[in-house]
Parts: sequence; structure tokens; C-alpha cells
Amino acid sequence: MSAPFIQFRSITKTFGGVAALTDVTLSIPRGECHGLMGENGAGKSTLGKILAGIHKPEKGEMEIDGHLHVFSSPRDALAAGVAMVHQELAFCPELSVAENLSMGRYPKKFGAILDRAKMNAQAEELLAAIGVKLDVRSKMGDLSTAQEQIVQIAAAVGTNPRILIFDEPTSSLSAPEAERLFELIESLKVRGITMIYVSHRMPELFRLCDKISILRDGRYVGELSGPEMTESAVVRMMIGRDVESYFPNHLDGAPGEIVLKVRNLSSPGRFREVNFELRAGEILGFAGLVGAGRSEIAKAIFGLDPQAKGHVELDGKNLPLGSIRTSLDAGISLVPEDRKRQGCILGMACSANISMAVLPALTKAGMLDRTREKQISEKYFAELSIKAASPEAPVNSLSGGNQQKVVLAKWLAKGGRVLIVDEPTRGVDVGAKAAIHALIDQLARQGLAVILISSELPELINLSSRVIVMREGRLVGEIPRTQLDQESVLRLMAGVASAN
Amino acid sequence: MTAPVAGTRPKKIRSGLMQEVGLAVVVVLLATILGVYGWNDAAPGRPNTFFNVDNLIDGIATPMSYYAIMAIGVTLVIITGGIDISVGSVMALSALGGAAALQTLPVDAGAFHVLSLAFVVPLAIGLICGLINGGLIVGLKLHPFIVTLGTMSIFRGLANVLPAEKTLPSAGKQLPTAFTTNFMRLEIGGLQPMPLIIMLICVAFGWFYLRMLIAGRETYAIGGNEEAARFSGMRVGWVKLRTYSLAGLAAGLAGMVSLGRFGTASTSTASGYELTVIASAVVGGASLIGGRGTAIGALLGTLIIALIENGIIILRLAQEYRLVIIGLAIIIAVSLDRLSSIFRNRSSH
Repeated sequence: MSAPFIQFRSITKTFGGVAALTDVTLSIPRGECHGLMGENGAGKSTLGKILAGIHKPEKGEMEIDGHLHVFSSPRDALAAGVAMVHQELAFCPELSVAENLSMGRYPKKFGAILDRAKMNAQAEELLAAIGVKLDVRSKMGDLSTAQEQIVQIAAAVGTNPRILIFDEPTSSLSAPEAERLFELIESLKVRGITMIYVSHRMPELFRLCDKISILRDGRYVGELSGPEMTESAVVRMMIGRDVESYFPNHLDGAPGEIVLKVRNLSSPGRFREVNFELRAGEILGFAGLVGAGRSEIAKAIFGLDPQAKGHVELDGKNLPLGSIRTSLDAGISLVPEDRKRQGCILGMACSANISMAVLPALTKAGMLDRTREKQISEKYFAELSIKAASPEAPVNSLSGGNQQKVVLAKWLAKGGRVLIVDEPTRGVDVGAKAAIHALIDQLARQGLAVILISSELPELINLSSRVIVMREGRLVGEIPRTQLDQESVLRLMAGVASAN
Repeated sequence: MTAPVAGTRPKKIRSGLMQEVGLAVVVVLLATILGVYGWNDAAPGRPNTFFNVDNLIDGIATPMSYYAIMAIGVTLVIITGGIDISVGSVMALSALGGAAALQTLPVDAGAFHVLSLAFVVPLAIGLICGLINGGLIVGLKLHPFIVTLGTMSIFRGLANVLPAEKTLPSAGKQLPTAFTTNFMRLEIGGLQPMPLIIMLICVAFGWFYLRMLIAGRETYAIGGNEEAARFSGMRVGWVKLRTYSLAGLAAGLAGMVSLGRFGTASTSTASGYELTVIASAVVGGASLIGGRGTAIGALLGTLIIALIENGIIILRLAQEYRLVIIGLAIIIAVSLDRLSSIFRNRSSH
């Protein structure tokens, strides 16, 4: 093996006394696609961000191609040929693709006037370089998440990097979109760009990476390559012990009575003539590409879509649409797909987040009953094993998985008949993911009717009693558990062939 | 993360409380500097020019009371992520309305009659103005800055147009003494503490509202993340309407205090107050992004500005520099807060 291209030596990074990385030494040869795995908080994103100049380590050194580097800003890293594709996309939605792509280095005419033609040509060139055709004049905000991601990659590749870091690039992509991303990454690999790929998702790591390094609690655990890269080996290294694959318990009980009946539900431009029934004790999976209308149906049932028309019955009673409070009072809860924007109030205490939906009932002599609020949050902290400094800690001090548990706790405290969970494990580490799966399963077992919307097929297939597939706003098929496999769901999602 | 080891776990302090303590330290510091100067400055055998009850009540507490009362209302609005720049105009309109109503009564009218009118009219005007602000912001989904910029102008314009004269009560008339001399200028031990008392009641109410009531929690939740609050079933529109109404009510109350204290109101009453009020709220730790702020912080923020104003007089600095000094103080206060919150975030991650 040749000398390492990237060499981390004894990297230590702490955030105010809490160690994010401790003494991490890691080397990556030139041209390799190197995976970084670990639970949330294991430090994998931090390591990527140190290389990209976003964080500065307290101790340790970093060598690229034999040269010692100390980056104090992303600009320094960029100058050394390191670019990063971030998990959270940062764009100006009101500006065009071209304007976003040449941000900060706009081509000028006569010293001051924006050279629009040149800017658009440059943008087209950048996109063409990664084999993508897109109208560079379209507004960034009109693009799908997948398209935004591609633009971000184009921007990163456009800086001619020697090293490209991906941080959870597929966390908001559907399966076929992710597939196109993988092909793109593979083509970049052929060009000899050294890549660091941070992800939770094992299949894509196995497919893309030559080697995988595993971090646990900020420490380097080891690396796997070639045939050693198996799911059980990775999981064992990540959490330090073996885990059994999860098989849901709720299937033991027979499904109960029909709780939710949806008839001819339509919303212009979102979904059309949707019909389905949901029974107590059942987990109904919703599969489909992002934008197929799954989350939109959930929002309509939750009262968030004023244009939704159709008939929804809850426990045999008509449920008027268009008001969150009506839906809430009837017993419908929604764990929304965008946890940070819709799920929780990041700057507020966990306990205050958990009590949010039951506040009106939490009064004593007209005042907020803090004792009961504390009891409720402590109860769910214990039941869901939420890890935080205390229930009074702000939600943004928690890991993604624990934030999601806080959102779930909010709805459990409220109680109800129907729980809709939209992408419940997005950006959540393996350990918390298993815990959330077990929790959803247990809730169904206790008789709750659950709708599970997910872009992760293994999650849908493992947990659901049956899966409804949506494409372009329509229900295109329903697959019972006995016939569930990734291929049949994918085929329906992409519209290749009807299952029936 | 494993279970926290006893002794290593940092004690969790409510971040609002930490901020209040920080502000209190600044207040003590300013007061100490002024006190030492005032002691040194006093002629032999004369009291400290800063630390004497007359200066503390007449020089600081009374003039700051209008600002503090409104700053509490505006803090509520800022916590929801909004802003209200119409409060100065609302205060003027309320004071003029109160004066117009009270001048119809004889000077020696009965206390009950006078005081009920003196409270109801300005407060009702304030409430209506607040409801208009809130109604436009919620109903038309307009930005609070634009709405209150418009109503600031409208309310001030009405204050110019509606009264028959520029100053009320009209020439030859006088407000009932039951409101002025015997209430707002009531002397206790040679001092007139009524504005201070009303201000402290407002702080207590603001604290109670934000800390003890569901309504307070809703205020923080909506400012912290409006969409998540909506997704949790909170009536966002109603909470905002309520908040702007309270800000209007506070401005009405400030108008009443000023009317009782001076015995008159004019079309230029409280002009330019809105900026000092917002500055006080922000110095007091309210974050314009929303989700952060306290009533006690608003009081301390106002007090800091009042101490600086008073200090300029005590130190006999040129009045011309007043605005410059206050502007600098605002920017320094907010940058210190920003620095401390960066530091806090570093240490809590």
C-alpha cells in the first residue's frame, strides 16, 4: 500500500468539555472512497467537518498528500482541495440555480455588472461535468430535494477538489434518486477523487466504499474492508455488541376494528381519489418517492390541508378536514417528516416540548402545573429511554434520535387513536432507530392504529402489517405482509409493472 | 452518553435566569460607579448626588416607568418573534383619550368615578389599538414590522387630529385631583412612588404570565418554532392576537401613568419612545428571532438605560452626547449577550 493521502493523527475535538473526538488516528489512501460509520454523536460528521475546515481540533494533526495542514476556515480547506457536500442544504431558494452555483464568484462585465449569460453558461458547464441536465434559470426553491442535492454536488465538484466529503447525502432522497446519486459518486471515483462518505445506511456504504472506518463515542474502533464489510460486523463494532434483527410483535394479535376510513380523498396537485382503511393494532406502511403524495395525505388527515376534499371517518364518525385541532381532538397525531421545523421547538426544554400538546389540561388553579409536567416528562424519559442531561435540557442539545423520541413522547402524552409517523428514523442512529421501531411496534400492539411513511424500504418491510404504494399522487397498489419484498415495492413505486 | 457521574454534571441553570443575573451585575456595576462619583461629588455635609431617594425615585424610577411598562408588553411580542413599533403612538392616543374623558369631570369629582374613568379609557384605547395590530398581523398574515409601522403613523396621526387642541385638558380646564394629586402624584414620605408601584405590578404580572400561565408557555413556543407549535395544536393566531393586545394594553397603561403624573397630554407625548422601549427589551435579553426574553429582563434592560441617562446628568456630561452614549450602550449590551450565548452554546454541545 502506498503512503496515505489523508492522515489524521491523534485528533481530539471537544465542544465545551464534551469530547466529540478523542485521539482519532486514521489514514486514507489516494483515490479511495472511505466510509465513516458510527452512531449519532460518535463523531463521524465532526471528523468530516474538521477536514473541511469547519471545526478546528484541539489536538492532533492532519496531513494531506504528505503536507501538514491547519485549516481555520472552509476557505482554507477549499484552497487545499477539500470540498464538502453537507447534510443540511444551504441555498437561497429565491435565486436561480445558476445564481446559487456561482455564489460569491459572480462573473462580471465592466467591473460591476453581473454577466448573466456567462453565469448561466458556467452553471451549465458545472452540471454537465457531473452529467446532469437542469434548467439553470429555474428557481432553487422549485427544485426537488434530490435536485438540490445534485446542485450542491455540482458546486462542490466545481471547485476541482482532490477530496470530497459527503455527509449523509441520501438522508432525504428516495431509493431511485439515491441510485442516481450513487452512479454519480461512482463516476467521481473513476476520476480519482478521494472521497469520505459519512452515512448511517449500510447498503450504500457497502456498495460505494472500499473501506469503512467505525467510530464509537468519539473514538476510532477499527476499519473493515472488502468481504469483512457485513452488516453484523459493522453493527457489532458500532455499538460494541451483537444485535438481533428486529421482528415486530404487533403481528401476533389479530387486527382490531376499523378505526380510520378514507374515501375519495383528493387535494389538487397533491393526490387524487385516495381510498384506504386502517385498523386498530395495525401498522400501515406508505411507500413512494418523495413527492408521491404520502406526506401530503398525512397532512390532509391531520387537518393541515385546507384544499383537501373527500370523506374521512374516524371510529365511524365523520371527521371534518382542514383544522388541526379537530383532528387532534378526534385523536389523530402526526410525527412530521421535518423534525427540526415541524416536530419540536429546538431551543425549548424537552419537558416543555413533551407537554406541548397537553398544555390545556395541565392546569392547577389556572396556572401551569409544573409538577405534573415534570412527572409526565420523567415518565416518558424513562419509558423511551431518552438520553439528555435532564428533562430541562433544550432539545437542540440532544442527538437526532433522542429529539425524535421527544416528539413521539409529545404524542404519547396526548394519547389518541391514530398515530401517523412520517420518516420517523430520518437522521437517526442505529441504536435509536431500533428503539423507535420497537416503540412503534409496541404502540400498535397496544391497539393504536399506526400509519408509517418511510423512504427506507427495510424499515417499511420489517415493521408494516401491509404496505400501500403511491406514485404521482395515486395509490397504485397494496401489498400484504406475506408478499412484501423490496423488489415488489420498488417496482410499484417506479411504475415499472403492476404487481397484480 | 452514559449516566452522568455525580459531581461532574454541571448544574443546569435556566438560561433566562443566567441572563437576568448578568443584567443585575451590570446594574450593580453602574450604580456603584455612579454612587462612588456621587459620594465624591457631593458638597460637604450634603447627600450623595446619586444615592439619594429623590434622584432614585424622581430621576430614575419615575421616568423609566413608562418605558418599562411598555417594554414588558413589547417583550411579550418579541418573544413570539414579532415586533411592535406603534407603542409610543398608542401611549399618546391613550393619554389624550384619557385627558379628553377626564376633563369633562369637575376638578373635585369623586375618587371612584374619576379613577374608574382614568383606568378604563386609556386601557380600552390601548387594547383596541393592540387588537387592530394583532388583527392585521394575524388576519392578513402581514409582517408585524410593516403593520405596526403603519399603525404607528395612523395612531399618531389620530392623536394629532382628534383632540380639539394640541394639549389636553383644554385651556382653563384641569384634570380631577382625585386622579392627579391624590393618586398618581400621591406623596408617601415626601416621595411620589405611584409610577414605580404600577411598574413593579406590571413586572410581577409579566413574570406571572410568562412563567406560570399556559399562555406564557404558548408565547415562547410560538416564538421558538411557530410551525411546530401549530403542529402541536396550538392556536397560533389567537396567541398572537392576545400578545399584541397585551402590548397595546401596556402602552395604554403607560399613557395613563404619564397623564396622571403630568396632568396633561399632548400630541407629542411619547414621541420616539418606541425605539427606547424596543432597545430596553433587547438589552433585557429579548431575542428578535423569538423564543427568548423575560419580564424581569425587560425591567433590568430599562433600568440600565435609565441609569445611563441619569449618569449623564450626574456626571455632568454634555447632553449632546446622550444619544451617542445610549446607542453605544445598546450595541455593547447586545454584543455581550451574543458573546455569552456563543460561549454557552460551546459549553453545552
